[in-house]
Amino acid sequence: MMRTLRLLNGAHDLGQGRVFWSGLALLAVAFLAYPVVASSFTATNVAYYLLNIPMALGLSLLWGYGGVLSFGQVAFYGIAGYSYGIVAGNLQEFAWGTVAAAITALLAAGLSAAAFGYFVFYARVAAWIVPILTLVLALLLATFLGLTAGYQWRVGDVQLGGYNGMTGIPALQIGGVTFQDYAFFYLVVLVVAACYIALRVWVNAHRGQVLMAIREDVLRTELLGYDVRLEQLRAFVIASVLAGVSGVLYVQWGNYITPSAIGLQQAALPVIWVAVGGRDSLLAVAIATFLLNQLTYVLSSSGNQSALVIVGGLLVAVMMFAPEGIIVGVGRARWLRALKVRRWSAHPGHGE
Amino acid sequence: MASDVAKPVLCAEALSKRFGGVVASDRIDFSLRRGEMRCVIGPNGAGKSTFFGLLCGILRPDAGRVFLKGRDVTHLPAFRRVRMGLGLTFQTNRTFHALTVAENLETARRASARDAADDAHFRAAYAAFDLAGSARLLARELPHHQLQWLEICMALRRGPDVLLLDEPTAGMSPGETMFTADVLKMLSRDGLALIVVEHDVAFVRKVAETVTVLHQGAVFAEGPVEAVTQREDVRQIYLGRVREKAG
Amino acid sequence: MLPELTSILYQFGTNAAFLLLSALGLIVILGMMNIINLAHGEFMMLGAYAASFVVHRGMPFPLAVIMAFFATALFGIVLERLVIRRFYGRELGALVTTWGISLILAQGALLLFGPYMPPIPIPGGAVSVGVFSFSVYWLILIGISVVLVAGLALVYRATRFGLQARATMQNPIIARSLGIRTGQIYMLTFGLGAGLAGLSGALLAPTTSIAPYMGQQFVAPAFITVVVGGGANVIAGAVGSSAFLSLIETPVSLTLGTFYGTMALLVMALMVIRVLPAGISSLGARLRPIVAR
Ligand SMILES: Nc1ncnc2c1ncn2[C@@H]1O[C@H](COP(=O)(O)OP(=O)(O)OP(=O)(O)O)[C@@H](O)[C@H]1O
Ligand SMILES: [Mg+2]
Repeated sequence: MMRTLRLLNGAHDLGQGRVFWSGLALLAVAFLAYPVVASSFTATNVAYYLLNIPMALGLSLLWGYGGVLSFGQVAFYGIAGYSYGIVAGNLQEFAWGTVAAAITALLAAGLSAAAFGYFVFYARVAAWIVPILTLVLALLLATFLGLTAGYQWRVGDVQLGGYNGMTGIPALQIGGVTFQDYAFFYLVVLVVAACYIALRVWVNAHRGQVLMAIREDVLRTELLGYDVRLEQLRAFVIASVLAGVSGVLYVQWGNYITPSAIGLQQAALPVIWVAVGGRDSLLAVAIATFLLNQLTYVLSSSGNQSALVIVGGLLVAVMMFAPEGIIVGVGRARWLRALKVRRWSAHPGHGE
Repeated sequence: MASDVAKPVLCAEALSKRFGGVVASDRIDFSLRRGEMRCVIGPNGAGKSTFFGLLCGILRPDAGRVFLKGRDVTHLPAFRRVRMGLGLTFQTNRTFHALTVAENLETARRASARDAADDAHFRAAYAAFDLAGSARLLARELPHHQLQWLEICMALRRGPDVLLLDEPTAGMSPGETMFTADVLKMLSRDGLALIVVEHDVAFVRKVAETVTVLHQGAVFAEGPVEAVTQREDVRQIYLGRVREKAG
Repeated sequence: MLPELTSILYQFGTNAAFLLLSALGLIVILGMMNIINLAHGEFMMLGAYAASFVVHRGMPFPLAVIMAFFATALFGIVLERLVIRRFYGRELGALVTTWGISLILAQGALLLFGPYMPPIPIPGGAVSVGVFSFSVYWLILIGISVVLVAGLALVYRATRFGLQARATMQNPIIARSLGIRTGQIYMLTFGLGAGLAGLSGALLAPTTSIAPYMGQQFVAPAFITVVVGGGANVIAGAVGSSAFLSLIETPVSLTLGTFYGTMALLVMALMVIRVLPAGISSLGARLRPIVAR
């Protein structure tokens, strides 16, 4: 227990110590109390801004901590979303049908990522090939789902629906609770918090350290006795299951999913959230994901078509002028100064 | 036990490797006993690093075989050889500069540390090199010789039986070099087998009983330190090297 | 028998030409600068837009294609100066940044020019052999892609720019110390790659609808051709890979449909990298080390 807490407080994310965690706890309480003042409509919207955070955190793990870039996390988001819809739609009469659907969805995301990742990572390809192939995967999946219009494309009682997508997806139900409205909001808040905590422990634990070691120097890490391929594959599967978590939450939100949720434009968004926040900080990525989802939602729901131009421009600007990420840049600026003073005084003469 | 000492712990048979037109390893036969301390010398480009790469598995040989503790590992990837008991440091320091000393060593630790007994070499070296005081520093904040020591400690972290060191004392002062030699000798006395690539003849004289001279990828000479370093032809290759360096 | 054979050859030829044309600009930039330009599809879109714009103001199509080359090349050069040059040596950074650029270009085109550009009618008619008829334009495209590849190889073999480019590719530091202005070489290479993308976009424009997101259709074929070809000898790699891939794609497309043809491309790419992580072009360079020091 103490060990886990120490790992949670570890150095490989922004924010340590009592003040930070008190602040974060306060934030969590504020979120949990939010439904008291918000209508169920606004609470559901806020849940929508939050529900992509697991996917973004997964990409942060993969890219920021592991140095492996994927452009196709939405593929696993889609696989999970569609799988949930198929299973939940067919098991509607059963009490635990939707829970089984959620589990199946995450398994589907994880297994497809493992199969695809096996070919990519065990081939030890150059770094640029992974994002390209994952992007093509997402693109082809979206194209395929677009072709599934018509009565013949059905699984049991559920139609895949082609470009119009799958509709009427039943909401998750555990015991007597149906996760809609406020309950959905709480579900999202809790899942996001759980994902953050679990990942933060993970990156500070031994496996996370090995992942960062691979990012720094593949060959050195292999010569410390690690199977680099396996470690990368593991991170990819974790990231993809997290994308699946977001996918399952997403279909709860609107009770539908269309191929465009997996398309090329959607595929770019996780990369943008992660890059803008700062890819090697889970906290920064979570914050950026929340804010940018809000931004694009507000822009596009007001009929403004420039949302993509704006986030695209933001991405280019960040990559050019703040490659470590905006939120990380702001966060580190302050943290670092305190750290540096200590380090210099601890070891004069060898600072850099 | 006595027969165990005589058995080779690491062994190469007719190991060959070409890079395009360059023959970097030319049918190298090599054998290292348990607990032996061997120096490999040879002028620049002689193929020493390539030989190490073939032994540890980051390079694939065109021909020949590698045996580790009696097992044919020619087709095993590097990480498997490391898990079987091989450690290596690179010619250029490759510690993780952005991590602290403690984290570097933590990364090098096996995930499930079952038996603490086999990291005795590590603990001895860690204490001798006195790195504990720098544990919380970032690796890049260490002076060069400590970085080299850190990499040696990382390679020892899993408790290997054989340690390959590619020019471990490059860039060290004479004092640091001799101190490093003492520590390596101590490890060797405790039963660790070592192969050290080294240019510094004083160092070689101090630590090794046997040296292997590589030249143009092939084993040029092998034998007791004194005899080999006295040989005229060995001096010739080295003189060639010195002249190259000067010119 | 002869008509069937011709028809099959024609199918292979068009598929290979399509792959090659889709990938051409990409491979020039990859081979030289180790940068994958994710805005490649949008560069092709720009070429198509430029061609459509001038064709409908009376310029003959062949001239429009050449104009498209220069327009996108110029655009590429400006982009290289402003943005891309900051990313040399940071291949993942370049990948992400060019993706941002691609979003801006596609959505920007939508905002500026609306959802469609006037289409370009397909030039040439059809010739028939037996019961089969073949589009003359596609036959020309096959010819053009052969000429383009040969021309590119010639540029790199026989011109001063090509020599300096190859020197820079081998070792930028030594090249610089020999007085080659490597910055300029990179700029021109990026311009050439962009121009070729625009040229291909213009050439393929008559065969498709000209729309802001038309670039997406080239993403899968272009990138897979490059992945399968590899980065060692990009021109030879791309020729080999487009020939090889069309060999797989053609029968699958013919029997199951184009989607499955594209799917087969992805599956082939996964298979090929499993055997040859550095692509087909590494076959010739098998003697090189697997891992550098
Ligand atoms: N990855 C590589 N690609 C091509 N040639 C290589 C490669 N590695 C080594 N060589 C060549 O193989 C030969 C042996 O090189 P190697 O690095 O093994 O020599 P070395 O004895 O370690 O030299 P040094 O004392 O300079 O470290 C040299 O001619 C070198 O140029
Ligand atoms: Mg060497």
